[in-house]
Amino acid sequence: MSEPMIDVRAVSKRYKRGGETLTVLDQLDLQIEPGGFYALMGPSGSGKSTLLNLIGGLDHADGGQVIVDGEDVGRLTGSDLSQWRADTIGFVFQGFNLIPVLTAQENIELPLSLAPISRARRRKNAAYALELVGMSDRATHRPQQLSGGQEQRVAIARAIATDPKVILADEPTGDLDRDSADAVLTLMRRLNEEFQKTILMVTHDPLAAARADKIIQLDKGRLQGIQENSA
Amino acid sequence: MMRLAWRNLRKHPVRALLTIGSMAVAVFLLCTLISLITTLEAGVKQAGTRRLWIQSAVSLFVDLPTSYESKIQAVDGVARVAKWQWFGGYYQERSNFFAQFAVDPAKLFELWPELEIANGTKESFVGRRDTCVIGQGLADEYGWKVGDVIPIIGGLFAKPDESSWDFEVAAVYRSTKATVDDRTLFFHWENFYETMKSITGTPPNVGVFIVERTPEAEPTSIMATIDGMFENGPQRVQTTTEAEFNLQFVSMIGNLPRFIAFIGAGVLIAIVLATVNTMLMAAREQTHEIGILKALGFADRSVFWYFLGQAVLLCAIGGGIGLAIVQVTSPGLAASMASAFPGYKVLASTYATAGLVALAVGLVAGVIPAWQSSHLNSVNALRAEN
Amino acid sequence: MKVPLHYNLRSLFVRRSSTLLTIFGIGATVAVLAGVLALQQGFATLFTESGREGLVMFLRPGATNEGDSLWQRDRAERLVKTLPEIATDEDGRPLASIECYLAIRRARVAGGETNVPIRGVEPMSKTLHADVVSVDGQWFKPGADEVVVGEKLVGRIQNCRVGDVIQLNITPMRVVGILKSEGPFASEIWGDLDRILEALNRPTPNRVIARLDAGVSWRELDTRQRKDKEVPAKVLSEREYLTGQTAALSIILLSLGGFLALVMGTAAVFTATNTMLSAIAARTYEIGILLATGFRPIPIFFSFLFESLVLGLLGGAVGCLMALPLNGVETGTTNFQTFTEIAFAFRVTPTVLITSVLFSLVLGLLGGAIPAWRAARLTAIEALRRR
Repeated sequence: MSEPMIDVRAVSKRYKRGGETLTVLDQLDLQIEPGGFYALMGPSGSGKSTLLNLIGGLDHADGGQVIVDGEDVGRLTGSDLSQWRADTIGFVFQGFNLIPVLTAQENIELPLSLAPISRARRRKNAAYALELVGMSDRATHRPQQLSGGQEQRVAIARAIATDPKVILADEPTGDLDRDSADAVLTLMRRLNEEFQKTILMVTHDPLAAARADKIIQLDKGRLQGIQENSA
Repeated sequence: MMRLAWRNLRKHPVRALLTIGSMAVAVFLLCTLISLITTLEAGVKQAGTRRLWIQSAVSLFVDLPTSYESKIQAVDGVARVAKWQWFGGYYQERSNFFAQFAVDPAKLFELWPELEIANGTKESFVGRRDTCVIGQGLADEYGWKVGDVIPIIGGLFAKPDESSWDFEVAAVYRSTKATVDDRTLFFHWENFYETMKSITGTPPNVGVFIVERTPEAEPTSIMATIDGMFENGPQRVQTTTEAEFNLQFVSMIGNLPRFIAFIGAGVLIAIVLATVNTMLMAAREQTHEIGILKALGFADRSVFWYFLGQAVLLCAIGGGIGLAIVQVTSPGLAASMASAFPGYKVLASTYATAGLVALAVGLVAGVIPAWQSSHLNSVNALRAEN
Repeated sequence: MKVPLHYNLRSLFVRRSSTLLTIFGIGATVAVLAGVLALQQGFATLFTESGREGLVMFLRPGATNEGDSLWQRDRAERLVKTLPEIATDEDGRPLASIECYLAIRRARVAGGETNVPIRGVEPMSKTLHADVVSVDGQWFKPGADEVVVGEKLVGRIQNCRVGDVIQLNITPMRVVGILKSEGPFASEIWGDLDRILEALNRPTPNRVIARLDAGVSWRELDTRQRKDKEVPAKVLSEREYLTGQTAALSIILLSLGGFLALVMGTAAVFTATNTMLSAIAARTYEIGILLATGFRPIPIFFSFLFESLVLGLLGGAVGCLMALPLNGVETGTTNFQTFTEIAFAFRVTPTVLITSVLFSLVLGLLGGAIPAWRAARLTAIEALRRR
């Protein structure tokens, strides 16, 4: 077996809320294979989003280690962490989180502006990412001129524009209707198969989870099990 | 990133415009206040170094005997000496105020090489006793030209029947330095002397004597000699350099510069607070975007500069507009304040100062929100309402 | 239905950092205006309140102040002796005095020069100017080379302590006492009329001051005396004269205050508008709820206007508080009518405070109008959608 792409070792995370300490993740161990497409499921408050944030380096664990692509994320700070995130991780959110004042093309160029590449290259990469998600004809549209499904596809294009190894998706289909959700999931499947992206996708939706290779079940901050999708 | 900053400013056009507007107003006000002071001081800064002024040591309002002239002329190092009398009259109304002086006509242009003839000739002024020479500013303001007769009512030197002193314009001058403003009327000392003698029966005295020293003469020794000559009366004199002479009129304004500084501080405080406020609002509304930027891998440092950039951009635009307003309005302001602040002028250094202040306000106002934003926790930021 | 006002007050508190910044921004503007007004008030009250209606002065026709007015000595004396309207004391002497006045150069203690008024008076002047008293040392002796100096000059102008010598051209004058007065006399040097005229080498006094018989109107006397063949004169009451003396500086200060109020006020209105716009933008959803609950747009408009007025009022209060320490602070300025320096104190009077507060309310009103209008024009559906 090869090295895991994501290696979560005995990770704990607690929040203080009104004097009470809430344990969100409790000594969690989890390995994600490179090139795998994982769905992360569990009831509300089970720690799914927290886990995603820890892996993406948006948050720091109280105990344990998170190793992504051989890098101990907890050791990175400041601009090193930002740079690492820009290189390694692509985020896709439930609320799409496009910047409303920028066009689709400009939204995708934004993370590319962190890479040491020329303006022309940036343009080309962004255009390619747009093409990949089938949104080339909407390049100059602002987010509010797009439908939810279209917005999410632009958001995915932004996530892959820097060619990251890992895509972290937090309920990417949560705000979408069935057809749009299908299109987004098909796109993610393709990114996984054609481009070997490792994908970790938080979802409530069993139909969405069914499109992943493996389903991770989480409850009360503990791993309940990983099952393989036969389909 | 700058494009994003620009777009975000444009997203709230009213807010951006209001902030730009208050910045423009502040810069305009600041320039005006600074210019009032620099205008006052211009006469001191540009004062001639060859001219020495001899006035009564007792009072601004005490004149000196005409007999002093020949005694001063005899002092070593004195190239020439001229008489200078404040006339204090007015044209038609008391509110039509400008300075008039009775002078020795030939010496006027010798002592003040900064006076250039714009219209008419020196010779026609020097040659005829009932003529005068006026500044370009007066000519423009009242539409006077060479050949016109200007009737001046004597305020300090009234004619018995309150009739006017009539001076024919022989020439119009332009002043190339702040030492003489271009709203002054000069007429013949002889005219003044003879007229007053016939009205009062006694010859009038001289307000001030002006000495031009020879280039190699030591001014301090000339001043000491002249002051010493009249130590025992009948009128003690005080000889000063032109800069000191002009300074006494500036210091008459008393606490004005401090007062203006107080106002300027008030203006700056108000504007800094306003801009900080705007930037805090902008930062608050962009909390969610900050979360996205951070999730995309932007470093705290970049977010910091991004917000600082927004503040500086706003202030730079506002400051630029303010400077443009100053540029456009200063001729009008100069005209309306001509009697209180003759020669009102906005210096290049004032533009530069106000421009720098605008940028500094942007930096100061941007630092707090920029620092706050850059230290936002990205998880919380993403959770914030859009 | 009225929108509960505590809703608006609470929201000011919730957004307190922004509220405070706005309040201090308006406060700084109001403080500047109050400062200028306090300066004008201090100057104006010094002159007008000390002038008395029953005291009249005679100036040369055409003169606007004492400095301009030059009398020939014999004419001034004829006026004092012959004018029937002038009251007399128990001994039958006319209650009138000839005075001379000149702005003389003096060195400031702090450095630099300034013009200080010196006044030569006759013995009757002290009776006429009842509020002038000597507080330290003694009064000058008639005919002696002695002077008393106004208390405001002590410590500000050189050689102004009892025992010092003031050099007047070639005559040394000994300072024998300190003069106290509520009015501008406290910035003057007083001495004997004849001695001062002689020291200054001037033949001409400047004014005659006199008390008129009860019931005599100075305006009528003025009309008559102007046309007098022997001694034409301009007559006016001391109060009228002193009020006129403040006109030039008052106009300068009031127009400066007006200019600043306009320019800084514009900036303050911009700030207030910004604050209110952002307050309303942040509460769009709440406004939607208000509208959906059945509140009408007009009460919503007024509730936001009220919020803005409170903002203005608080700013005004802060501004007044910032200006209050100025009250009583001594300063000097030149009276441009006589070119002499007058010392006086800033006076933060009720007029200053009321004007400042009204100004701050106007700022609040203008700043709140557009945002409140915007809030009132929202529809419930639109507002609720903009979550």
